[in-house]
Parts: sequence; C-alpha cells; structure tokens
Amino acid sequence: MEMMNMILLNSLEGFFFGSGKAHVVTGVALIILGGLAMAMWRMDRKLSRLEEEVRSSGK
Amino acid sequence: MKGTLNSIWKWGSILLLAYVFLWGFSTPLQPGLVSCSPSQLDLQEETITLSAAGQPFALEGAETSGFTVILRSADQLLRTDVTSVSPHGIEARFDVPDNLPSRALDAFVFTPKAGTLFLGNACFVEDAAKGDIPEEYRATAPDDLHPQLGFSFPFQPNIMESIRNLLLHVPMWFAMFFVMGIGFVASLAQLRTDRVLWDQRAEAAVRTGLVFGLLGLTTGSLWARWTWGAWWVSDPQLNGALVTVLLYSGYLILRAAMGDDDRVGRLSAVYNVFAFVMLVILLMVLPRYTESLHPGKDGNPGFNSYDLDNSLRAVFYPAVIGWGALCYWMYTLRLRMNRLAHALLTQ
Repeated sequence: MEMMNMILLNSLEGFFFGSGKAHVVTGVALIILGGLAMAMWRMDRKLSRLEEEVRSSGK
Repeated sequence: MKGTLNSIWKWGSILLLAYVFLWGFSTPLQPGLVSCSPSQLDLQEETITLSAAGQPFALEGAETSGFTVILRSADQLLRTDVTSVSPHGIEARFDVPDNLPSRALDAFVFTPKAGTLFLGNACFVEDAAKGDIPEEYRATAPDDLHPQLGFSFPFQPNIMESIRNLLLHVPMWFAMFFVMGIGFVASLAQLRTDRVLWDQRAEAAVRTGLVFGLLGLTTGSLWARWTWGAWWVSDPQLNGALVTVLLYSGYLILRAAMGDDDRVGRLSAVYNVFAFVMLVILLMVLPRYTESLHPGKDGNPGFNSYDLDNSLRAVFYPAVIGWGALCYWMYTLRLRMNRLAHALLTQ
C-alpha cells in the first residue's frame, strides 16, 4: 500500500504510470481486443448460419 | 451443450487476454539503477549520483538513515556516506582510495522498501594503483533486507518497461508453433489418406500461423529497436524467424499457383512437412549453436532461468493460453470457411 502511494504521488516524466501512458495503452489494447472479439464472434455466427443452410440444402 | 462449451472457451480466451492487458500494462516495474554520475572518478573525495528507473524506491525527502550505498571493486567492498535520497536517485560521498583491486566499481544500493539495487561497472577510477583497499575504507554488507514491493515486474537493464512485450511477443510465437504443428500433423495425414479434409486443415493452420508469425516479427522488431537500438539485427534467431515466415508464405504461393490442379493437396502437404522441419531447425536448433543476442540462445540465457519471476508468470502463462486459444479460434473459423467453400463448389 505504501509503495502504491509512492507510485501515485510521484508523477515523474518517463515513468510509465506517472505520465498516464499506462492507462492509454491499456485502453487502446482493450478496444482493439474487443473489436477483434466482436468481429470473430459475428463471423462465427455467420459461418454457423451458412453451414446450416448448406446442410439443409444438401438434404 | 456443445454450443455453450464452444462459447465458453472462445470468450474465455478473450477474457484471459483482457486480464493480461489489464495486469500487463498496469503493474509497476521494480526500481533499478540505470546510471552513475560522474562515471570517471579521481583520487580524492568524490560525490556520485546513482539514478534509477521503474517505480520510486524512496519517498520525496526521505531520511538517508535507512539507505546504504556500497561500491565493489573486484571482491572488496568500499564504504560511502549517503548524503541525499530522492524517489529515483541517491547521492553518496566517499574518499577514493589510492589502491583498488579493480578500476571498475560496481554499485549496490540497499533500500528499506525496494531491497537491493545493483549497477555493474557504475564508475571507474583510472588513476588507482593495483592493490587491496585499505582497511579504513572498507565496508561490510548490511543485514538481510525484507523488501515489500508488492506485485511488480522485475527490472532488467535495457529492457525496462518494454518487459511487458513478453506478454505479446513470446505467446504469439508459441501460438504460431502450436497451429503450425496442427498443420504439420494434418499434412502428414493428408499424405497418408489423401482426404481433402486434411488438406483444408493444413491450409487453415498455415494461414492462421502466418498471421501470428507476422505479429511475432513485428513485436520482435519493435522490441529490438528499444533494447538493441535497431529495427533488425543480423542475428540467427531473427533471420531464422524471417526465413520461416517466408517459407510458409511460399506454401500459400504454391497453392495459389497450382489453382484447381488435383495434385495441389499432396504437393502442398509435402511442402508443408518440409516447412515445419525447417521451422524447427531454424528457430529451435540452429540459434542454440551460434552466438545470439536473443534470450534463450548461446551465451544469453532466456527469461525463464532468472528473470521470469512469479509476478511475471502470473500474467505470462494466461497470455500463452489466451493467445493460443485465440489462434485456435481463428484457425477453426478459417477451416470452416474452407469446408463451406469446398461444399459449395462440389454441390
């Protein structure tokens, strides 16, 4: 806890956290990951639908 | 039931990667010494300033009494007096003796909260004569410290904050190995059975593996720029990785060039087996027999031997599983596309 206070109290230039860069990097990475997950999920569902169509048309 | 299980592992991989990003980018780095000023000392009373990076090792205006700076010349210790402490620096004054066993001095900073910080070859005394340090200058190491740093990543000189790239670069290569392994097995099965299903699997695996190979190259190049100062160095591991990616690109070119030829499955399976053998040789065998800057190779131990501490492991292993599962998800999507295309073409 004391160490965390030291981190938060010392906004040093070049320090990943003090300058706030860590939050920006985390946010951007999460947005990219979320976008990728949504795109893959939609593709997954589309493929399932197409597979179903092909299966039913083949019967 | 099957659909639910499918959703669980897919979204599980995303959640794992979200955890990796959150912890990986928000965990502070342990403090570590990066420089000493001045680096050249004369035979007189000198004051040196040791600068640190990473999280602070002291509070602003902290008392100097809890801190100790000791310099080491060969196997002998030199005493100093700490004159001031700041969150990222410590100042020490000492008399430079006329005799030193080595002209290079290593610096140790003993701190109450962050443990011991070390800087090899921190400063040099060019004019010192060869000999033992006089008794009155000598220091003894302080008692054992019990640092309470909390959850933080290990400090590595040169690597510093970029150590977080370990959570991207290495698991991406692992994921590539994993999926290329699937492709290798599929190609062997294709050669044995000549069934189109195995060819589809091999193609999907190589295509997905190439994505992760390119990501591995990109993250590696960025890391090289930060730690070695160049986007690319002529290193057996780096060149081997590039050749591997080019080899697998050749697989896709071969398939595209052959078009609808009936032999495409067998020929590309032969090529894929050859490419996987080359991958193992180029990335896992050859670099271990040659000098390399890359960790894990000759003369340069990997992270696992001394740097991958428990805090890093707590994020690294989920990253390996997360990237691996995401890679496998991509592979299954591509495989289903291949199957659909084949089903539509043959209907």
